[in-house]
Amino acid sequence: MITQTADWFDERLGIAKFTRKSLNKIFPDHWSFMLGEIAMYSFIVLLFTGVFLTLFFVPSSKEIIYHGAYKPLDGHKVSEAYASTLDLSFSVRAGLVMRQMHHWAANVFVAAIVVHLCRVFFTGAFRKPREINWVIGTMLLILAIVNGFLGYSLPDDLISGTGIRIAFSILLSVPVVGSYLAFFLFGGNFPGHSIIPRFYALHILIIPALIAGLLGAHLAIMWHQKHTQYKGKGKSERNVVGVAMWPAYALQAGGFFFLTAAVIAILGGLVQINPIWLYGQYIPYKVSYAVQPDWYMGWLDGALRLMPSWEIVGFGHMIPTVFFPAVLLPGITFTALALWPFIEKKITKDTAEHHLLDNPRDVPWRTSVGVGVLAFYVVLFFASSTDVLANSFQLSLNFVLWGFRILLFVVPPIAAFVAYKVAKEAGSVPGTGRRKRANVILRNAQGAYYTEQTAPRSPQHEEEVAEELPEEVVYHALDRDHRDELVGTAAPSGAGGPAGSPSHPGVDLGPLPSGGSGIFRIPRVRRSAAPDDNGEPIGGIGDRG
Amino acid sequence: MSIERRRAAKLPNLKRRVLLPAAVGVAAAGITTLALLPQAGAAQSNNPSDLGNYGYTGSYIYGGTQSKGGGPITYEKLNPASIPYGKTLFLESCSTCHGVEAQGTSRAPNLQGLGAATIDFWVSTGRMPLADPTVQAVQKPPRFSRSQTLAIDAYVSSLAPGGPAIPNVNLTLANLAQGESLFSTNCAACHTITGAGDALASGVFAPSLMAATTTQIAEAVRTGPGNMPRFGPNTLTDQQVADIVKYVDYLKAPNDRGGMAIGHVGPVTEGFVGIIIGLGTVMLAGLWIGGRAK
Repeated sequence: MITQTADWFDERLGIAKFTRKSLNKIFPDHWSFMLGEIAMYSFIVLLFTGVFLTLFFVPSSKEIIYHGAYKPLDGHKVSEAYASTLDLSFSVRAGLVMRQMHHWAANVFVAAIVVHLCRVFFTGAFRKPREINWVIGTMLLILAIVNGFLGYSLPDDLISGTGIRIAFSILLSVPVVGSYLAFFLFGGNFPGHSIIPRFYALHILIIPALIAGLLGAHLAIMWHQKHTQYKGKGKSERNVVGVAMWPAYALQAGGFFFLTAAVIAILGGLVQINPIWLYGQYIPYKVSYAVQPDWYMGWLDGALRLMPSWEIVGFGHMIPTVFFPAVLLPGITFTALALWPFIEKKITKDTAEHHLLDNPRDVPWRTSVGVGVLAFYVVLFFASSTDVLANSFQLSLNFVLWGFRILLFVVPPIAAFVAYKVAKEAGSVPGTGRRKRANVILRNAQGAYYTEQTAPRSPQHEEEVAEELPEEVVYHALDRDHRDELVGTAAPSGAGGPAGSPSHPGVDLGPLPSGGSGIFRIPRVRRSAAPDDNGEPIGGIGDRG
Repeated sequence: MSIERRRAAKLPNLKRRVLLPAAVGVAAAGITTLALLPQAGAAQSNNPSDLGNYGYTGSYIYGGTQSKGGGPITYEKLNPASIPYGKTLFLESCSTCHGVEAQGTSRAPNLQGLGAATIDFWVSTGRMPLADPTVQAVQKPPRFSRSQTLAIDAYVSSLAPGGPAIPNVNLTLANLAQGESLFSTNCAACHTITGAGDALASGVFAPSLMAATTTQIAEAVRTGPGNMPRFGPNTLTDQQVADIVKYVDYLKAPNDRGGMAIGHVGPVTEGFVGIIIGLGTVMLAGLWIGGRAK
C-alpha cells in the first residue's frame, strides 16, 4: 500500500531520487550544531501557540468598560486589546499557559539565535561559501527581535505601552524624516488608535512570513552546501562525517524538538511571565518605574540609559540624544554583523572555501574580537536594569549608571585581551586537543612520594581512540578516496558508481546499523574530481529501506 | 465589636454613599467607642476594634465635623494618660537628636505639629530611632511595642496642635478597582506598579510596600515620609486613601496566576529565567542527545 502510494507519486513527481538522497544525507553530530535547531523549534512552538492566541486576541484600541474575571480592574476603561488579553489569561481554558508559552518561547527563540550566532562566529562557519547564510541569519536575528518587541506591545498594558512610547520617540529622533516616519507608522501622533492593529498585522502576518521564508532559505542553503564539521580524524574539507538523516538524525532532531517544546511548556505552565493584569491598561499619563523591555531589547534600552544627554545641532537640525544609542548603534551593529564575513576576508585575504571549522583557540584574533564585542553588548544588556540592580544591591542609582558607563569602555578591551591570551596559550600548548595523560602519585620503598605520568597508551590503543568517530558511528561508508586514507588498506578501486550502492565492490560493508553513518563527498568537489554520471553525491551507506 | 463595624455590616450599600468625599473625610471624629486594646506590647493590628481606647483628641483630624457613620478611615484617639510615659520614652530614645521638646536640632528636624501619624509611621516601621541620619531610613523591626509607640505619639502630638492623626483603614469599605486606578496614577511611578519598590536617583529609593501595614500605608500617603510627596485631604479623600491602601494590601498577595511569580520586577528576571533556565535546559538536553568532542 505504501509502496503503491509512493510509486504513484514518484511516477508523477519523480521524488524518489530526491527522497532517497535526502534520507541518506549525512549530518555531522555535535551538540553545538543543534543550537540553531533550538531556535527553529522555538519558532515552531511560537507558531502553534501564536495561532491559538489569535483566536482570542482582539487587536483594537477601542475603549470598553472591563467587567471580566479580574476584579481589581472591574469597571476600568480599557482597550479591547487589553481586555481580550485579560480574558485570554483568566477566562479562556488554557489561554494563560498558551500565552506564557508563547512569551517564553520568544525569549528562548532569540536567545538560541544569539547562541547559534556565537557558535557560527567563533568557529568561523561563516567563511566562504557560507557568507549568504550568515547574512540571512543576521536578518533573521533582526526580524526576531523586532517581532518580539511587536508581540510584547500588543497587550496594551502599562509596561509595554511605555515601550511603544519609547519606540515613537526613537522614530522621531531620526534627523529630517523622523517626524514623518513616526506619524506614518502610528497613523498620527502618539498613541493614536492605529498602532495596535498595525503591530498586530506585522506581528502575526508579515514578519512571521518573512522569518519563515528566510528560515526556509537558511535551511535550503545549509542543505545544499552541507553542514560544516569540526576537525578530526577522517574529516576533511571534502567530506561530511556524521549520521544519516534517516533514521538517526531525524529521530534525534525530532526528539530534540519535543525536548525544546517540553522545556518551554514547563516554563509556560510553572513560571509566571508578564502578568499584565498587575500592570493595568496603558494610559499615557501613567507610568510605572522598573520598566524594562524583554531581554533581547535590553542592550538598546541599556544604551539609551547610559547615553549622556548630548544634542548636536547642525545645518539647522538638531539631532536628539536618542538618535545615537537607539538608531545609530543598532544600525552600526547590524551592518557590521551582516558584513563580518566580508570584513574578515579583507583582513585575512583568505579566499579559500572552508568546510572544516576553526576551534576558537586556532584563530585568537577573531576570538578576541568576538569576545570584546560580545562583552560590549553584555554590559549594555546589564545596563538596561540599572534601577533593578541598584535596588537589589542597595546601591545608588547614579553610582550604578556611572559604573556602567565606565564598564562599557573598560570591560570589552579587557575581555578581548584575556580572550586573546587564553586562546593563544591554549592553542600553543603542546598536545592541545589530544587526550590527557594522567599523573599518578606513587610512593617508593622509602616512603617518599613522587609523581609519574601514566604510561602512554599502546600505539594500537591510541589508534583506536583517534579513529573513534561520533558515538553512533559503527561503520563508515567510504568512498574510494577516503577509504584508503582512513582504513589504511589499499583496497582495489572499483568502477565508478555510487559508493552507496550495496554492490559497490571493494568495501566490506559488514552488517549495517540502522543509524548508519557515512562520509559524503561534497558534490562540487565530486564533479570536478571524479565526475559521476548523475552528479549525485556518493551515498553514505545506510540501509536504503 | 465597635459601632462602625456593626453599621458597616448592616449597611452594605454604605459604600456608594461614602464615595462622596463630603461624607467620608469626617469618618472618625465622632466615633469614640472603641474596644479595649490589649495594653502590653500589643502587636500592630489593622482591626480598629483592637486599637486602644485613647480618647485623646489632641491631634487635628481631617474633615473636622462629626461623622454620621463608620467611614473607610477612622482616626486613632490617643490616651492623654500615656503622655508622661511617652515623654520618658522620648527623652530616652529621641531627644538626643530631636531635642527635649521635639523642637529639632542641627541633627534632626522639628517634630512639633507634624501630627501623630507622622510620628507613628517613623517609629512603628522601625525607621526611628535612626543610627545614621545621612542615609535613607529603612524599615526594620520596631524598637517599641505598640503601646509604647502610641505613648510617644501621644506625647509628641500633645506638644503642638496640627498634623494628621493615626488612621485606621476599614478595608471592607474601600474599593479595590478605584485603588488600582489611583495607585497606578499616583504611586507606581516610584514604587513600581507591583509595589516592589525601586531605586531613585542619588542613593534614594522607593521602598517595597510588601511589609507595610494598612495603617502605615495610609500614614505614608498622608504624611509623605522622606522624599515621598504628601497627599493631603485636598488631593486624596479618605475614601481614596482607603482605596489605595486596599490595593496595596492586595498587592502583597496578588492574583498570581500563571505559576511562580519571579519578583514582580518585570522582564529583568524573566530574561534571566528565559536565557539561563529556558535556553540552558534545552542546551543541556542538546548536549545529552548530541555528539560531543572526540
